[in-house]
Amino acid sequence: MIGELVVSLFILVGATFALIGSIGLVRLPDFYTRLHGPTKATTLGVGALLLASVIYFSALREGLSLHEALITLFLFMTAPVSAHLLVRAGLHHRVESRSRAPAEDHGHPDPEAPI
Amino acid sequence: MTLLLIVLLPLVGALLPAWFIRWGRNQSALAAGVVTGTAFALLLSLSSSVFAGEVPRADWTWMSSIGLSLAFMADGLGYLFAFLILGIGLLVVLYARYYLSEKDPMGRFYAYLLLFMGAMLGVVLADNLIVLLVFWELTSLTSFLLIGYWKHLPEGRQGARMALVVTGGGGLAMLAGFILLGNIAGTYQLSEILQMGEVIQAHDLYAPMLVLVLIGAFTKSAQFPFHFWLPHAMAAPTPVSAYLHSATMVKAGVFLLARLFPALSGTELWFFLVTGAGAATLLFAAYVALTKHDLKGLLAYSTVSHLGMITVLFGIGTAAAAVVGIFHIMNHAAFKASLFMNAGIVDHETGTRDIRRLSGLWAAMPITGVLAIIAAAAMAGVPLFNGFLSKEMFFEQAWALEYQFVEGVPWLLPAIVTLAALFSVAYSIRLVWSVFFGPQAEDLPKPPHDPPFGMLLPVGILAALCIVVGIVPVLVAGPMLAVAATATIGIAPPEYSLTLWHGFNIPLLMTALAFVGGIVAYWKRWAIIGLHEGPLPFPEAKRIFDGTIDRLAAFSHGTTAALENGSLQRYLALLVGAAVVAMGWPFLTGSWSAGPGPGTPLDGMSLVVWAILVGAAVATAALHRRRILALVVVSVVGLMLALAFVHLSAPDLALTQLSVEVVTVVLLLLALHLLPKEGPSEDSIGRKARDVGLAVAAGCAVTAMAWVILTNPVDTISGFHLAESYPGGGGTNVVNVILVDFRGFDTFGEIIVLAIAGLGIYAMIDALGVPDRWKIGSPDDEVRYPLLLTVITRLLLPLALLVSMYLFLRGHNQPGGGFIAGLVTAVALILQYVASGIGWTTDRFVRDYHGAIALGVLAAGATGLGAWLFGYPFLTGWFDYFELPIIGEFELASAVLFDIGVYLTVVAGVLLMLVNMGKIRNASAAAPDAADGEG
Repeated sequence: MIGELVVSLFILVGATFALIGSIGLVRLPDFYTRLHGPTKATTLGVGALLLASVIYFSALREGLSLHEALITLFLFMTAPVSAHLLVRAGLHHRVESRSRAPAEDHGHPDPEAPI
Repeated sequence: MTLLLIVLLPLVGALLPAWFIRWGRNQSALAAGVVTGTAFALLLSLSSSVFAGEVPRADWTWMSSIGLSLAFMADGLGYLFAFLILGIGLLVVLYARYYLSEKDPMGRFYAYLLLFMGAMLGVVLADNLIVLLVFWELTSLTSFLLIGYWKHLPEGRQGARMALVVTGGGGLAMLAGFILLGNIAGTYQLSEILQMGEVIQAHDLYAPMLVLVLIGAFTKSAQFPFHFWLPHAMAAPTPVSAYLHSATMVKAGVFLLARLFPALSGTELWFFLVTGAGAATLLFAAYVALTKHDLKGLLAYSTVSHLGMITVLFGIGTAAAAVVGIFHIMNHAAFKASLFMNAGIVDHETGTRDIRRLSGLWAAMPITGVLAIIAAAAMAGVPLFNGFLSKEMFFEQAWALEYQFVEGVPWLLPAIVTLAALFSVAYSIRLVWSVFFGPQAEDLPKPPHDPPFGMLLPVGILAALCIVVGIVPVLVAGPMLAVAATATIGIAPPEYSLTLWHGFNIPLLMTALAFVGGIVAYWKRWAIIGLHEGPLPFPEAKRIFDGTIDRLAAFSHGTTAALENGSLQRYLALLVGAAVVAMGWPFLTGSWSAGPGPGTPLDGMSLVVWAILVGAAVATAALHRRRILALVVVSVVGLMLALAFVHLSAPDLALTQLSVEVVTVVLLLLALHLLPKEGPSEDSIGRKARDVGLAVAAGCAVTAMAWVILTNPVDTISGFHLAESYPGGGGTNVVNVILVDFRGFDTFGEIIVLAIAGLGIYAMIDALGVPDRWKIGSPDDEVRYPLLLTVITRLLLPLALLVSMYLFLRGHNQPGGGFIAGLVTAVALILQYVASGIGWTTDRFVRDYHGAIALGVLAAGATGLGAWLFGYPFLTGWFDYFELPIIGEFELASAVLFDIGVYLTVVAGVLLMLVNMGKIRNASAAAPDAADGEG
């Protein structure tokens, strides 16, 4: 009973974060802010779901079911890298930023931008 | 066995003269002669049984399901023809030795000749219709080679081509006719067909079958209207003309008439077609022969005419006429071959064949002249020569018809025949008188003299035969004629007498008329020739032939250009359209309809996934011009498919789908990168509408088909697989067990295909000559290979390999397996190339994947072969359980070795493809151009 409650809680948390992430992807104003949405959805959203899965299958069978932990580890390693690459691509293409700080790629300084 | 040897010996022995030529022309001729002589001796060894009335047979079943068996028989008819082929062949070998000049490649000549000989023997000794047909076509082919022997002469090439087209086309018609005959009779064995005459003639399909078979016979024997190729075949060397186009190959058509005589003859249709064509040829060719100025041209038309005579005899349909027909086949072979060789001698010694230039050669070439007179006399039908006998009997048979061309006009055929005989006398006289007598010719290219003995001997032998058969026919030709006639008619031949004197009767009168008329015609020949060459409009066969061929070629070019114009869209449209028709047709005709099976209830989740799937597919088509975007949308389709697999409890398929999706997206990205980001707008509204309509129709057709299949009760083999998976294959993962055990052979083939695809891509890109220019430590590196990516991917590699191994090892019992593991490894490795650069990775890893691919395929193959060591069929699996101290009990299955092979091939193949595609990108990006914007 308790177990079921906990599992359901985590599933709901995960789904909520996925929903928030998706809304962010649609609604936020520019490229760099929009990136925040999917990263939350992948890490926290899927992470919560995976936690729920761990609890469920550990209760179902003997021994901890650790496959999901491995999945979470992979996700936490790769999602930031993907986001990083996306931002670098955006900076390289000089995608417009609506925030007040100017967009700057420290690897390739823009010769025309004011210092 | 002897029969097979007789046929095979010349075919295989054709290699000997081609080989022996290195030691000289004599040796090559000797080799050809020995081969022919041996076959002849083998044939003669069968004589005693053949003359006693037995029929030696040989039979090997080949493809019993279509009634094809390698069957030979030597009945009287086959024996007679084989005797002619081998006997005259031996003489021709001798003659050709002296005829061919130093420049002519003799080895090749004899090789072709022997090939032809073997093929012709196959025709006459065959006991199965299909075997006969195969050898028939072989004779056409070898005749083509022989006619075109002097490749440098355009007449040779054109004559050869014309002969091949006409006889080959006839062979095609004959194939159709034979298949019909085989169906009517229920068997292809000749010995059985020949017993079924009444059944065949009463059948509905008798008429079309007869027409088709006759087309084959008439094209080969140059009967009207297919006669035109024979005069053009005279461009061949004279030994070829003497052998093929007088004695053997052209006789194949009348041989067929004789062979099928018991089965097909006797009906009115047979009479009209065969006798009609034969009579027309007989008269027409005899007339034209008189007007020809080329020695060989005259002889060619006279051959056509005499073949017409034999055709008429077989067409008459009575047993007596058939006997005469066979007798004339024998006689004609003797005198015509000798006349052709004679013409060759004249040509060889004087340098010209033009009758108008030749004259008075008797003084210089007396022996040749004597032999020519003998043969020509036989041809004209002078008494005491063999030609006289058969002509007399022919005249007699012309009055004894079962049917008539025109009712109440029994003298029509005899009149035609007499007229033809008249011309035959005339051209025979012309052949001898104009060439050997009269004033001596002045301006001949070479001074004439008698040829070497080797050229005279064959002619002499044949001429002697003409005389001997003419004087004592019963003794010499009697026995052979008797057995051949029995074989042809099927029963004992009727009373006939081969005596020289039949008394004063109508045939004798006709002969006398022919002689008198012939002499007059010869005397007035220039008037006739003038008539022929002057005002009479004569259609030139060669021009018509060439024109027809050209028009056919232009038509096929045009049709091909219309259908195959190089547009992939058109091919795809045609393919999909054809598929729609094929799938939709059973619905229209009502043979398919939905069955009683229950549907599956639809839940909201499936509906959402389905909607996304359809939306993504449509979006791909709509966005196809924005290529990278379209690729992203396509990957959505792939992901939705994976979800569908999971929903339908197929985790193995979902895993495969996901990993293949990744690899495909990478591959497509590498390819699309080389194209501009946006494609141009190319299609009109009409074209788009057509394509949309076609796609929707195809989708509806497939849906309907799937609906029918899913709702109808159907018994699949999946039950067997599920039941046998553990006991038979040793694994609980059915999909994997199917892949590596039940259907292991298919998987083996598929990894070979994957390997070939990888190697093909490698070969293509290697041929582009992309230079290996990767530099480490250039200022661009930090942008192209960001540090974060590089480090993380290097850390990820061991973890990815761990997962890959885990999937591989558990594959037999749980979702996983060699293929999926291989793809995961490949993706992990390709990530290294992407993150650190091709140069860096190649320095630390494998340079060429070809070895790994080969190793993988070999491992899979060796596993299969290993089963042979234990006496089991290829790829039989084996499994057992073992105990190890700490690990406990575990299972070993031979399928693991097979899976290793699959794994290696997949990894190496995929990497080969992707790395090579990436090399192009690398080289094109290494060039300093800031215009591209890849990230």
